[in-house]
Amino acid sequence: MLTYIARRILYVIPILFGVTLITFVLFNLVGGNPVYQKLGKHGSEAEIQLLSKELGLDRPLHEQYLFFLKQCVTLDFGRSWSSNQKITDMLSNGIGASLSLTVPAFTISVLLSILIALGAAFFRGTIIDRGLVVFCLAGMSISMLVYIIFFQYMFSFRLGVFPITGYDPSLAGRWTYLILPMIIWIVVSLGSDILLYRTIMLDEIFQDYVRTARAKGLSEKVVMLKHVLKNAMIPIITNIVLEIPFLYTGSLLLEAFFGIPGLGGMTVQALYNSDFPVIKAMTFIGSMLYVFFNLVSDVAYAIVDPRIKLE
Amino acid sequence: MKLSRVVLVALVSLGISACTKKEDKKFANYVREALKTNIKGLDPVVSGDLYSSTVMAQIFGTLTQYSYLERPTKVVPYQADGMPQISKDGLTYTFKIKKGVLFHDDACFSNGKGRELEAEDFIYSFKRLADPAWQSDGFWIFEDKIKGFTAWRNEASKAGKADYSKPVPGLEAVDKHTLKISLEKPYPQLLYVLTMSPAMVVPRECVEKYGKDFQNHPVGTGPYKFQSWTRNSQIVLERHPGYMEEYYPTVGEPQDQANGLLADAGKRLPLNDGVIFTEIVEDQPRWLSFRKGEFDYLEIPKDYFDGAVVSDDLTAEYKNAGVSLSKTVGTDITFVSFNMDDPVVGGLGGKGKYLRQALSTAYNTEETIKKFYNGRAVSAQGPIPPGLGGYDPNRVNPFKQHNIEKAKELLKKAGYTEATAPEIHIDLPNGVTYRQFGEYYQQLFNTIGVKAKVQLHTWPEFQDKHKKRKSQVFSMAWGADYPDAENFLQLFYGKNASPGPNNSNFNHPEFNKLFEKAAVMQDGPARNAIYNKMVDIVIDETPWIFGVHRKDYYLTHGWFKNYKRNGIILNYSKYYRVDQEAKDKLKKKL
Repeated sequence: MLTYIARRILYVIPILFGVTLITFVLFNLVGGNPVYQKLGKHGSEAEIQLLSKELGLDRPLHEQYLFFLKQCVTLDFGRSWSSNQKITDMLSNGIGASLSLTVPAFTISVLLSILIALGAAFFRGTIIDRGLVVFCLAGMSISMLVYIIFFQYMFSFRLGVFPITGYDPSLAGRWTYLILPMIIWIVVSLGSDILLYRTIMLDEIFQDYVRTARAKGLSEKVVMLKHVLKNAMIPIITNIVLEIPFLYTGSLLLEAFFGIPGLGGMTVQALYNSDFPVIKAMTFIGSMLYVFFNLVSDVAYAIVDPRIKLE
Repeated sequence: MKLSRVVLVALVSLGISACTKKEDKKFANYVREALKTNIKGLDPVVSGDLYSSTVMAQIFGTLTQYSYLERPTKVVPYQADGMPQISKDGLTYTFKIKKGVLFHDDACFSNGKGRELEAEDFIYSFKRLADPAWQSDGFWIFEDKIKGFTAWRNEASKAGKADYSKPVPGLEAVDKHTLKISLEKPYPQLLYVLTMSPAMVVPRECVEKYGKDFQNHPVGTGPYKFQSWTRNSQIVLERHPGYMEEYYPTVGEPQDQANGLLADAGKRLPLNDGVIFTEIVEDQPRWLSFRKGEFDYLEIPKDYFDGAVVSDDLTAEYKNAGVSLSKTVGTDITFVSFNMDDPVVGGLGGKGKYLRQALSTAYNTEETIKKFYNGRAVSAQGPIPPGLGGYDPNRVNPFKQHNIEKAKELLKKAGYTEATAPEIHIDLPNGVTYRQFGEYYQQLFNTIGVKAKVQLHTWPEFQDKHKKRKSQVFSMAWGADYPDAENFLQLFYGKNASPGPNNSNFNHPEFNKLFEKAAVMQDGPARNAIYNKMVDIVIDETPWIFGVHRKDYYLTHGWFKNYKRNGIILNYSKYYRVDQEAKDKLKKKL
């Protein structure tokens, strides 16, 4: 397994190299001129040239790309062109807010959806199962924006149960502001997750080993929890692990509506402002996390299913 | 189960309510304002966007400021001790700086106590604008204006490092409290730009201590001291205990007395204990928070306008809650710009001119105001917004009166028939509203046979296109930086063509001559007469289809006093008063 992991880590190099190249080319093709953004509406020709020099945009493209690679290796992306903030500070400030929202919401939604999917598989074909499928389909057909607008209006404004918007950076204080966005995240995620996990479990339920287990006289509870759930965990884990890297970017809509200063809003703002240092940092770190969690999911296969050997 | 759920909800509500009450008490007598975009930073040389400037205007001081109540607003001294002495040739301005003005206490000072403001502080702060290392967006305010300012910058750029010990010939500290500014040529807008954020004064020792992170530790001489900032969330400012002696104005417009705006006349500023700015980019939470009393005042978001204002008046629901409506016409303009370099829609005189006039005449401003602005705008007849010198309220732009027949005649003059009319390409930024605008333009221009292709772009792409003169037609807006029509007329000056601010690339020899002549003249009837001639030229050539001047509709809660809106005045918080007793009562009803 160690050889496999070492080889996969080596594969990361060309992947990340490709990501940096694509990011660089795309930014230079369609990213606009950051100097215009930075100088605002009054920039003169002379100022534009001077600032281009200061930002290093007058250097040949290959030099600029090599500088980008150096930043990736040292993980020092400098300062934002838009706000002049250190990118490491921006990331450390934003990641706490993003993860405080997404990690608990994601964990709860995964656990809930697995449990509900297991129940649906248990009651397969009954009115409960069918009702649940219809409910999930309806739920996932509604845009997150609609949930946000409705929940915020109803629970924050009308009933006053939660604050309308805001954020407290202290670890103890932030949860007051995060409960409602978390609930919305969970509600939005449940529909699609339940349907996916239910399908996976139903695939397992009709396997020969389940019939054998039942024939051995095991109770339905034991069959479901010990056999079906365990075997269904491989695709479920794949799905979960591949979603983890996206947690660090938070949720743009939830952050915007509930005033959570996370990385989602920061990234969109960077795109809007042609803030290339921030875009570079977010793209590179996002890719690294994605590649890493891909590897984690492969290793997790082997742990969950002893039949799988990593070579 | 049901009971436990009810108990849980009640506990959460109680917890939140307790937190809110505690916070309310802690920040009693604080002004609470919502910002509709995230601010970039709090350093005057690098954070020139409107919302950053708004927050900074409460923290930092300037030599001059605008009169709060008088209209049209005029420049008055702020941290300068009286208006400057101006030499007869208009080339030298000598400012006396008020004695005893203190910077906020901060660890960057040797004993942690804010020291006295001096003339050298202004010289240092202005030099920072010209230091290439700061990449300032405010250099333009003194570029080629203050003697030796641009040369100092060029030298610093060549050397790779600015040498602050080298003097700028046009900036001189005559003594500790006297600053002399010498100009290359008369610059009548100097007193205006000295009110703006790039001209805010900062202490050198603090900038040197914090470096580029000064924006996170702003230290100024303004009425409020920086307390905390959760990026993209909230900025808290508290009253500066050592703030200079300044008093609420005693003079205003005739109706100010009746409107209660002079009730605090002569009182020491600031009239509150602090300001909390909350950054909320989405309309719904901003609006709902206002309705719950979380903010003292708010501009009504477009989607909520019809629910709050009917027949240009507040609905009873809001009036009963003690909310008031305040309306002003903004000093801005929206426009559709033609690229004058373009072979089809461009060119002075001739075919291009008639085509532009035809499209302008086909434009239906009244319908646009109803469809896109909820009626909150007035039709622009020229480039100068109301309230600025040179604005003529009686002016009627002949190409701004929606008339399809006349537009078709002009199209014929341009050498086209409805069948042979050219296809034009309109660039707009991304967004639902712009898409709707695009469709509307297509429909309008199609009435005279001109087919329009609309392309939506990300903002950087959009800006890149017109800055590189690649757009044929595009739509934009311009807000006043200072209350002088020059700020709008410079958008047609040939030397300011793209990538400068004149993105229509209008380059009319006579207009240019008049602009150069007016640029060195002081405000007055003679200059306004020249401005009028310039407007005549622009209207005739129609490099823009003039859109609208937008009206601001703001709501204020009953406990909030002394609110008087003007888009150019940014250091307004010190004048506001929160009637805490009334707030406690009224908030319960919300």
